[in-house]
Amino acid sequence: MLCVEARSLSKSYGDVVAVDSVDLVVEPGKIFGFLGPNGAGKTTTIKLLTTLIAPSSGTIKILGTDALKDPLGARRRVGVVLQQPSYEPNLTVEKALDKYGMMWNVDGGTRKRRVEELLTAFDLKDIRKKKNDDISIGQRRRVQVAREFMHEMDLLFLDEPTVGLDPSARRALLDYIKGRVRGGLTIFFTTHILEEAEYLCDEIAIINRGRIVAIDTPDELRKKFGRKKTIKVHVEGVRDLSGVLRDVGPHDVSYDGGTVITLHSADSERALVRILQVLSSNNIEVEDLSVVPTSLEEIFLKVVRDSEGQGDASGI
Amino acid sequence: MHPVFRLVNRNLTISLNMGFVIWQVIFPVIYIFVAGFAYTALIHNVPFGTRNLDYPAFIASGMIGFNIMNSTLISGIIIWNDRRHGMFEQILVGPFTRAQYILSNVYTIGIIGLFSAGLITAIGYPLFFKSVEFNVLTVPLVVFAAITGAILFGSIASIISTRLKSSEGFNVVINTVFLFFAFVSTAFYPAQGAPPVLATAFYFNPLTYLVDVVRAGIFGNFTATVGYEMLVLLAGALVLFGIATKLLSRLEI
Repeated sequence: MLCVEARSLSKSYGDVVAVDSVDLVVEPGKIFGFLGPNGAGKTTTIKLLTTLIAPSSGTIKILGTDALKDPLGARRRVGVVLQQPSYEPNLTVEKALDKYGMMWNVDGGTRKRRVEELLTAFDLKDIRKKKNDDISIGQRRRVQVAREFMHEMDLLFLDEPTVGLDPSARRALLDYIKGRVRGGLTIFFTTHILEEAEYLCDEIAIINRGRIVAIDTPDELRKKFGRKKTIKVHVEGVRDLSGVLRDVGPHDVSYDGGTVITLHSADSERALVRILQVLSSNNIEVEDLSVVPTSLEEIFLKVVRDSEGQGDASGI
Repeated sequence: MHPVFRLVNRNLTISLNMGFVIWQVIFPVIYIFVAGFAYTALIHNVPFGTRNLDYPAFIASGMIGFNIMNSTLISGIIIWNDRRHGMFEQILVGPFTRAQYILSNVYTIGIIGLFSAGLITAIGYPLFFKSVEFNVLTVPLVVFAAITGAILFGSIASIISTRLKSSEGFNVVINTVFLFFAFVSTAFYPAQGAPPVLATAFYFNPLTYLVDVVRAGIFGNFTATVGYEMLVLLAGALVLFGIATKLLSRLEI
């Protein structure tokens, strides 16, 4: 049974099409990354999939249940951490966790045990007696995410869960999520931080202007869109190399005017040999060089640019 | 536990704190014991049905209705806070429907209304015990008034909370509306003897009907007029609850 199955999903507000014929399939036990620039339609899609808003057209099945016909049934085994903060200001951290469990009909004994587990896992023990109103934005976000693990679920929507978290809290959360996925949980994950998607996701969809513009595993996306590698060459001494670099050939070369030359090439080995030849014949010594595979960030930028008709179609 | 009761449990937990209880007690105590006795020099007796009530007994019974109204502000505050702090959306992506959310607010304000009525009855009892005529017919009147009044004023607070986004706007509007309700009513003084325009205005105010029914319950003075006032109270509660429900159902996310 698929965890999420959306077909031809659209949502319009007047003349504005926020989500346009989106097809999404999320398989069980996977972390599905959903990326896109601001205003691309990520949060609207999540609101549609969590039945918070109704689509203009299309179908949604969540854990095999038709979410349009039986939204409550579809939500029964689903957790949602929305992008916007949500908290009860006058409850203490531990009370907020406990009450949230109660709202999900979790029995008292289980709630007590889970509260302790989550306070430890999310490093909230020191602030357990503090009210939500009196803790920092990052701590509140941790409580918001931890709270969702108070109840049993098969699918969890996480809409930019690491916003406001410091690097160590962020990594701890990502590792916690990975652990839960090993236990059988499926995650639908949106983020702006592409390293997170790279670290976490089994499959990634990129949405822009309401349409899915790419969808695949991170490796396949790299193969499709990341043929080019980035080569950085640091040379000794500052001099004007503009004239010399004309001889490098048909490679995408950028030069900072100082000591760093950057090449983007699908044929990285030839490009590297060529630039070393050119530098050697001009008696320019190389201080350092590195070859960097294309990052997800570069793929993301390329896919988004291409979808807006600004790309060069040749890959990064 | 049924989802509605789980939400009621949550509503009561976030609403009932020591500050709320103190506010619920101190405010009416000052009115009953300070204003009540201070004004006795000016208002010796208040004609009520076939008898005269002393002013402290009159105001103490009026404060029951007043406190029910005040306590149901909670309903508006819950909705407004849920919207402001993201809990409205969070609840609706959980195992709850909008209808259950709305119903939980009704139960919450009903419980708080009854709690409030009981509290002020206990506080005011020493003042009006001489005139009290509780029996199997009059006690249900007080309970009816507490529940319908709570739903009516809770609905008004809910309507205001769905229309206003800023905290300043919410506080200004709700305080102005409830201030009008409090002082242009029979809670603090009788309609008889008031200037005709003001006396008429009293009866455009649901608090007057609530207070009159409560007094009829406490002092055993059920008349045809009280029956009519109960109908007005019930109709008002149903209409306003309908409007509040519609607005909450359409609330955009």
